[in-house]
Amino acid sequence: MSATSDAYQNLQPIHHPPTSFFNKYLWSIDHKVIAKQFLWGGLIFLLLGGLQAMFIRWQWAYPGQPVPVLGQIFFSDSGGVITPGHYTSLFTSHGLIMIFWAITPMMIGAFGNLTIPLMIGARDMAFPALNAASFWTWFLSGLMVLGSFMVPYGTAAAGWTTYPPLSGNAGTPGWGQSLFVLAIFTTGSATIMGGVNYVTTVIRLRAPGMTWDRLPLTVWGQFLTAILNVLFVPVLASGGILLLLDRWFGTSFYVAGALAGEGAGDPILFQHLFWIFGHPEVYILILPAWGFIGDFVSFFSRKPAYWYKGSVWAMAAVSIMSAVVYGHHMYTTGMAPLLGKSFMMLTLIISVPAELLFLNWLHTIYHGSMRKTVPMLFALGTIFVFGSGGLTGLPLATISTDLYLHATMFVVGHFHLTMASAAFLGTFGAIYFWFPKMFGTMMDQRLGKAHFWFSFIGLNGVFIGQMISGYAGQPRRLYDPYQYAFTEHMIGINQLTSYFAFFLAFGQIFFVINWFKSIFGKNEKCEQNPWQVGTLEWSIPNPSPVYNFKVIPTVTCGPHEYSNPECIEKLGKDWQGQWESLDSPEAPAPEQEDDADEATDPGAEAAAETSK
Amino acid sequence: MGLIKRLQQYWTRLGVALFLFCLPLDGFAEVAKESGFDMPRDVSLDGHRITWLINITMVFLVILFVIMVIWMAVAIFKHDENHPAEYDHGDAGKQIAFALSVSTVIFLIVDGNLYVNAMIDLDEVFWNFSDVEENPDTVRIQVNAHQWAWDARYAGPDGEWNTQDDAITLNDIRIPVDKPILIQLTSSDVIHALNFPNMRVKADAVPGTVSPLWFQAVELGEFDIACAEHCGSFHYKMKGKLTVLSQEAYDAWLTEMSHQSALAYNPDDADAHWGWPWKKEQ
Repeated sequence: MSATSDAYQNLQPIHHPPTSFFNKYLWSIDHKVIAKQFLWGGLIFLLLGGLQAMFIRWQWAYPGQPVPVLGQIFFSDSGGVITPGHYTSLFTSHGLIMIFWAITPMMIGAFGNLTIPLMIGARDMAFPALNAASFWTWFLSGLMVLGSFMVPYGTAAAGWTTYPPLSGNAGTPGWGQSLFVLAIFTTGSATIMGGVNYVTTVIRLRAPGMTWDRLPLTVWGQFLTAILNVLFVPVLASGGILLLLDRWFGTSFYVAGALAGEGAGDPILFQHLFWIFGHPEVYILILPAWGFIGDFVSFFSRKPAYWYKGSVWAMAAVSIMSAVVYGHHMYTTGMAPLLGKSFMMLTLIISVPAELLFLNWLHTIYHGSMRKTVPMLFALGTIFVFGSGGLTGLPLATISTDLYLHATMFVVGHFHLTMASAAFLGTFGAIYFWFPKMFGTMMDQRLGKAHFWFSFIGLNGVFIGQMISGYAGQPRRLYDPYQYAFTEHMIGINQLTSYFAFFLAFGQIFFVINWFKSIFGKNEKCEQNPWQVGTLEWSIPNPSPVYNFKVIPTVTCGPHEYSNPECIEKLGKDWQGQWESLDSPEAPAPEQEDDADEATDPGAEAAAETSK
Repeated sequence: MGLIKRLQQYWTRLGVALFLFCLPLDGFAEVAKESGFDMPRDVSLDGHRITWLINITMVFLVILFVIMVIWMAVAIFKHDENHPAEYDHGDAGKQIAFALSVSTVIFLIVDGNLYVNAMIDLDEVFWNFSDVEENPDTVRIQVNAHQWAWDARYAGPDGEWNTQDDAITLNDIRIPVDKPILIQLTSSDVIHALNFPNMRVKADAVPGTVSPLWFQAVELGEFDIACAEHCGSFHYKMKGKLTVLSQEAYDAWLTEMSHQSALAYNPDDADAHWGWPWKKEQ
């Protein structure tokens, strides 16, 4: 073993596996356990946020009619009818819960944690205890969210954007709104802890040979997302603190007009702070999915990722530019013309790297040998929804067309296709793909395919339906959208859209069954590398031992070496593991395999061995 | 407030109501309904610029989307597991040049078209407030939004704002046809947004800030005014009516309205005096 390799081993010594229940399942510092904690937590909130979406869709399809069955549980105070007050709380908390308590923990908390150390060849995160603190801080914020539903006047109701003065005491009185803002601040702290950890881990703990141009695209996505989180979540946190000062201590950072006592502030200040965070946030929620797709299309087309460096540069360019386009959310606030036009120019330019990514994905699957596995279906579905969602962003990026489209359902359809549908499909693709890594068994592929088709058709139906009614002028966030002469006739399309939503919700049952069956049912243990791919996490047993790599591997090639004629000739298979060398195929690269039997009882021996 | 004064006010309000009831509305009794999934009827001088730009962009987007779907379909159905995969990293100079040129061409055509047209439309029309300000025909209106209604104010014969002869209305904006309408907009509580779908424009009403908005109607009729910013539980009920009148009908209405408002004027009612000295648009 070389001196470099030794240095890597010593930098990350093998720890004993935890033995107590507390250290194993609650305060676990193992990134793989924390990943599962985030995944469970995120799925539960996804269910809650999804249920809220169904209530909203019910209200738009059958305004003012009692919600069947569930209405008696959730809206018992009004006989099962969703009132205007309920409705504002519903769409407000739906947005916030989905973003901060469903997508973020699942896509970043779970899969960032799971994939980064495993894919770069590290034994854990750089700061394992901070990682656990991140989860439990997020958990605390989740309790605040649930608590906000139980206080007088109910939960937050000022829209997910929480614009003051509506989000101030006069607009939304009571503890619910305050608790929610505090919860956002708290989960923001959790995100920053995670972000610092991810960035440090990727920079410091890559295995020898894992150069920047050999990182899987999944890791690139998580790395760039973590950088954006570290830079921009603090801006949101500062905006939130000022709002809480306004609410609790009577300051007037955001209060103006008749509500302001002495010394008026500026409501638009909040919008700047919010969107300086808020626009990078939509990329925060899509970069990991771009990473998954970039890898999956290569893995399952058995073909190298097309122009890998181009994809990396495009993702980096989008990340950098995401900071300077936020003003397109504020075209109608009366901003200075020069400022507005600059934001329009920059927003249109950001479409170029996105186009490059699309071309690279399309080129990757073209002339490939496609395996239509469940993760691949989800990746293709993500490309499809992100294509339609991304393209429809252009008329919203342009000021004059936005004068008409702003605040219509067109916007709602657009951003749900990009940051909701694409994030949803991307994340579920990742669940099906890494499930064997997490639990040692495969999920049922037939149930997975049913889940995909219900989700894919449902998502497209809902959000294309919303874009159609938005194009026709239906404003967003209306309790009863049929108040106007120009919307009165649109109940039909809204009902159809709602049926797609119910279809989508129904399809999730396949996932729930599959999830519980695959974790708790009697299942055959799957082989170590079920997808026949070459990234490092598949060089070790499933589920992996607490220290991941008994010997930290030396990386010899990029993550997408498929159908290389030389490899087929020398190794007799169409893929090359990043730990495998074509020059000396006999070299004892994957020592890890010896551990397969010990996987369930890892630790002591290995620890003793390294300490020698 | 004295009893006499209060009675006087009630009397005036009754008068206004009776007057409004009898006013000829050029044959329009009700806001015209829309149908289908097209945009609401455009009755403005310049709305067609927005309609055209959205629609031409949609055509481009559908073309791009269809190309993407066909590309995916070929890969899915022809390049399946029976098709041998090419070992191609796609990083040859030619391939990179191709990807960059395709992206650039799409950017120049689709984004370029949007950018150039939007810049022209903003400079000539939508953000060109100085020409409207200098146009002697321009009709000026101040709007104050609050939960959940629109107050509108017209300067009245003296041309001064916040004076006794200002015409004041609630959820009722009347304008003459074929004249530029320049609105200055604010809010006294939370953020609202004044939305005229039939004119294709909207602007936020922000407390503490006065924002401008202008358009010119080319057809007589009545149209809905919507709120386009979530402003609380009854956001959906915040609905006003825009009435486009002939110049004569408008003049008659404004004169009478100003007269009636003057009668109802109460110098002690501070809340009613929300107007401001007109801010000259640059």
